[in-house]
Amino acid sequence: MDLQLKGKVVSVCGPDEAILDACRQALKAEGAVIASPTSDGAYPLADAVVAVGGVNPGSDLLEISDPDDLYAAWDDMTNAVSAYRSALPQMLEHKWGRFVWVGSAQAKSVDAEADELAAVTSLGMLGLNKVITGEVGSNGITANAVLRGGVATDEDVANAVTFLCSQGAAYLSGITITVDGGAGSGIF
Amino acid sequence: MDYGISGRVAIVSGGSRGIGKAIATTFAHEGAKVVIASRTQSNLEETLAELEEIAPGRVHGIAASMTDPESVKRVVAESRDRFGPISIAISNVIGHVIDAAKEGSGPGAGTFEGMETESYREEFTQLMISSWALARECVPDMKAQHWGRICNIGSGVAREPSTHLPHLLPNVVRPPVAGMHRLMAARLATHGITVNNILTGSILTERNRSYWVWLAKERNITVAEATQDMTNRIPLGRFGEPSEMAALVAFLCSDQAGMVTGQSIPVGGGGSAHL
Repeated sequence: MDLQLKGKVVSVCGPDEAILDACRQALKAEGAVIASPTSDGAYPLADAVVAVGGVNPGSDLLEISDPDDLYAAWDDMTNAVSAYRSALPQMLEHKWGRFVWVGSAQAKSVDAEADELAAVTSLGMLGLNKVITGEVGSNGITANAVLRGGVATDEDVANAVTFLCSQGAAYLSGITITVDGGAGSGIF
Repeated sequence: MDYGISGRVAIVSGGSRGIGKAIATTFAHEGAKVVIASRTQSNLEETLAELEEIAPGRVHGIAASMTDPESVKRVVAESRDRFGPISIAISNVIGHVIDAAKEGSGPGAGTFEGMETESYREEFTQLMISSWALARECVPDMKAQHWGRICNIGSGVAREPSTHLPHLLPNVVRPPVAGMHRLMAARLATHGITVNNILTGSILTERNRSYWVWLAKERNITVAEATQDMTNRIPLGRFGEPSEMAALVAFLCSDQAGMVTGQSIPVGGGGSAHL
């Protein structure tokens, strides 16, 4: 399948290096050009932005005593928002763009191993994806999420990310693809 | 029906106006000891006087910002000193108003293209930090009693973000707040504590009325036309009363609703399209 990503510039950002690397490899294999934030922290112009959320395994909101821990997770999320906004003007100009958030499947289906901070920030991005879809979707720009759960490998996740960046995913926006090997129990 | 709320201590944030006031009033009628917290002293005094009529000696008001965890701690401590351990916590805090002069445009108004990330943080403080801090402070009392009811007054956009109105901030922060309550429900279930979230839909409040005025100006139509336009979107054909929100909240806080937890429930006259 030609995903028609050849020459597309994809910005990949977030605090989880292993999954970022898997995304870079998968996208490069389809001919995409990878752009990363510059050393001064500025986000590059790009046709697609892949933002990976932070992970805090076992984080429990009721056990957290310092609100700064909540703010830190939120700021990680809004860094992704900044990357999205930096890329938006060029996407509007080109009438083509892809935003993909990589977050936690806990956002949609709770289990005992919940990373609650990741669940919460992912839900913020799912809301934002709907906003982006409503606001700029008619310009060929989509905003989606890949939610990882179960024992999904970085490659499993990167494959879904690459699909959502592709031309074939042009009519998908505001959706989530849960990559969890069927672990989640919710229907909706 | 006896909801089993009588004698229990309930804290209602944002309890001096609109939906919060309706909830506090219902609790007062049900025999609870009710503490309302509100930023504005004058609103607080006015509402307290009304509540005192219903429940003499069973109501208390505290002027405080419920978005600051330290101030929430003070409110909970003062409530406990006054009436005893807390059994019911209702979080009802409005979203971040970016431009107070344009308040009619609704809290959190703005677009993805134009919104600064600092505003996302403000909204997080208003909606998330406030309900997190209140729950966190009240949970030890609830665990000790092996009975507790936590209920957040959220918004329908938590499940169905509104894309026909340019209100970015609630669309982004309401879903995490709903998720947090679902997660807390899982953590607290074995302690006899239920945690639920209301997906507020079209309820008739002062804020809604001022929104219609703004909308009318924005679309160059009359206020009556704006009101009709909004009403037409509601399957039941009318806006709900704050007391109708309070009815559900009181049920969720009852003994009878002890098995209902981790739910986000819409009160919007059938306006929610989600299954």
